[in-house]
Amino acid sequence: MGLWKASILATLVALTSGLPASAQDTITIGSSLGLTGYGSLTDGHWRDGLELAIEAVNAKGGVLGKKLRLVYEDNKSTPQQAVVVYRKMMSEDKVVAFDSGCISAGNFAAASFVTKAKLPMFLCSILPRLPEEQKWAFSFLPPPKFEVDARYEYLKNKTNIRKIGILGDPSPYGMLMRNIALEDAKSFGLEIVANESYQQDDSDFSVQIGRINAAGAGAIIMIGQGNAVITVANNLRQLGLNKLLLLGSINEREILIEAGKVLGEQYLFPAPMIQVAIDDVNMIADPKARAAAEAFLTPLKAKFGGKMDSAQASRAWDSLLMLAKAIEAAKTTEGTAVRDAFEKLGPYVGAGATYEFSETQHIGITKNPYLIAHVTKDGKLAIKYDGRQ
Amino acid sequence: MTLRVSISTRLGSYGTFAAISAVGIALLFALVFIQGGYLLTVMQLAMIYGVFCVGLNFFMGYTGQASFGQNAFAAIGGYGTAILCVQFGWEPVAALVASMAIASVASLVVGYPTLRLRGHYLAMATFALGLITYDLSVQWTSLTQGYMGYAGIPPLGIGRFVVEDERLKLVCLMAILLFSLWLSGRLRNSRFGRALRAISTSEAGAAALGIRISQYKLAAFVIAAVYASAAGSLFAHTVGFISPEVFGLQMVVVTFTMLYVGGVGTVLGPAIGAIIASLLPEIVRGAGRFQDIAYALALLVLLIYLPKGLSTLADLGKRRPAEQGGGN
Repeated sequence: MGLWKASILATLVALTSGLPASAQDTITIGSSLGLTGYGSLTDGHWRDGLELAIEAVNAKGGVLGKKLRLVYEDNKSTPQQAVVVYRKMMSEDKVVAFDSGCISAGNFAAASFVTKAKLPMFLCSILPRLPEEQKWAFSFLPPPKFEVDARYEYLKNKTNIRKIGILGDPSPYGMLMRNIALEDAKSFGLEIVANESYQQDDSDFSVQIGRINAAGAGAIIMIGQGNAVITVANNLRQLGLNKLLLLGSINEREILIEAGKVLGEQYLFPAPMIQVAIDDVNMIADPKARAAAEAFLTPLKAKFGGKMDSAQASRAWDSLLMLAKAIEAAKTTEGTAVRDAFEKLGPYVGAGATYEFSETQHIGITKNPYLIAHVTKDGKLAIKYDGRQ
Repeated sequence: MTLRVSISTRLGSYGTFAAISAVGIALLFALVFIQGGYLLTVMQLAMIYGVFCVGLNFFMGYTGQASFGQNAFAAIGGYGTAILCVQFGWEPVAALVASMAIASVASLVVGYPTLRLRGHYLAMATFALGLITYDLSVQWTSLTQGYMGYAGIPPLGIGRFVVEDERLKLVCLMAILLFSLWLSGRLRNSRFGRALRAISTSEAGAAALGIRISQYKLAAFVIAAVYASAAGSLFAHTVGFISPEVFGLQMVVVTFTMLYVGGVGTVLGPAIGAIIASLLPEIVRGAGRFQDIAYALALLVLLIYLPKGLSTLADLGKRRPAEQGGGN
């Protein structure tokens, strides 16, 4: 054998030796996450939820007699990197399914070749757009409309406020939500008298708040996650506008508490039950849902000390437990069989929500999971209004 | 020894470097081609960025001007090809060429007033161009579908011949990059290229030689835009999906890195930079959550020891003029 051929062979052997030796004893699940970039806030929690679920499944003996293994890669919140990491997990890690984060564009960019490979995708994001891709994707994200409607319903049923102002950021999530907010207001008898924007790194919102107040709004519907809401709360306090209600977006627990410390019950927000009930699981009335929440919160508190946000991580936990259940039901890790088994799981009461996937329903959360909450004086979350069916 | 001297004499140090680079890149391709897997995707993206950088090099390298807004023309290429193929059922190649034509007209219209600016002002104006295009791609949802993006863009192909196989995609993209490089090399050493390089050295001097500065700058800007548009279209056909994030600020940062790592103003630099800067993150992937730090450190080392880029490796062996001249 010539020197050239030998070198090529040696390089190939070196490259292939990097594959996991125990691949036959484990079932590998891949996850494309925006651990850096604009998605880092949410996707970090998604990863934590997945890891907790993997540990829980493996502690009970795994699936089909094999341990589950999670491989995750940072897509840097961009579609280009998402394509690379999805391909990497398919070719190098031999994943049998994906359970990926909330970067919609990244998941969309990869959907075509993941679909061709017949691998199911469980997503924190919305579904890809093409019908053939949707057959392989399952969304664990509450439809954005629910978040808007929960706030509008509260205003309609519990207050006399009928004029509102919107204050939103230009993120993908924000843009989508703003359009829904503009379209839905009328059906709740609300009038939008101001429609203001901000950038996520703005350090003052006094001008926008002033315009909303001058337009006669009784409440600000804030659209956008992150700590901008704390600045808005401080601006409201500084401007002395103590009758202008602030209805924020869903957010991190710590951010909610910081904004709540400034405004008290003047600041309300939609939250899933699991986020409010983290300190007292008995708040959950339904025994099945309470048991599911307890199973998740116990390891969460043990690992993170109970200070971690539970909203996102709980749905990641649910998605992985449901995937494990589907693999168990399919008795194989083959993509088509797992997908079909998943569609037949039926209603599933999870820690984060109740899911109703089927062959024709690939958006699992069909009932509004949000209640309206506030921050108490001792810095805990409490229910203000629960309009869930 | 005699053979080495003979090769060096025939090719010159740059020629030797080009030959070594070509052999190195060919070996790398062979390895990726045989191994397959996700490195095929990494190399496909490297080829696409390479085309973009070869174009950018016309304006920034040969002409010595600053542009932070070439992503605008990549967006025109990407969205142009996506809309023409998905909405109107055009053939991918026809859509790619039409998008390049649209980008060239757009660059003419934008470049004519903008290129009257110089230095930092030109950089700011081109940066604004990129930001405006990004905002348009987000806000003009009836045309671009906003953040939801365009899916289902067909792969490259002519008639019944469709490039769906990942290896074949890489071969096609490599051929396109090689053609781009060949064109760049030919133009660099032409009368036109010499005029651009004269502008880069001294605008006043070039003007004194009778070079119409504004026309040549505009021509370089249009060429860079056409290359960027082609890269945008190639991305769309290779990945099958585009959204505003693809053509955002990150594209500017990534392509600048590639250009400077490879060697701005050289013929091969943009391609070498694109390949190295694409492969580096994969080489340091094992660093896990420290991957970005490892990547940045590697880039830092490269730029400290090779400030003019990897393509100047050829000059390392050269003796300095003072040493050569023995003090004369």
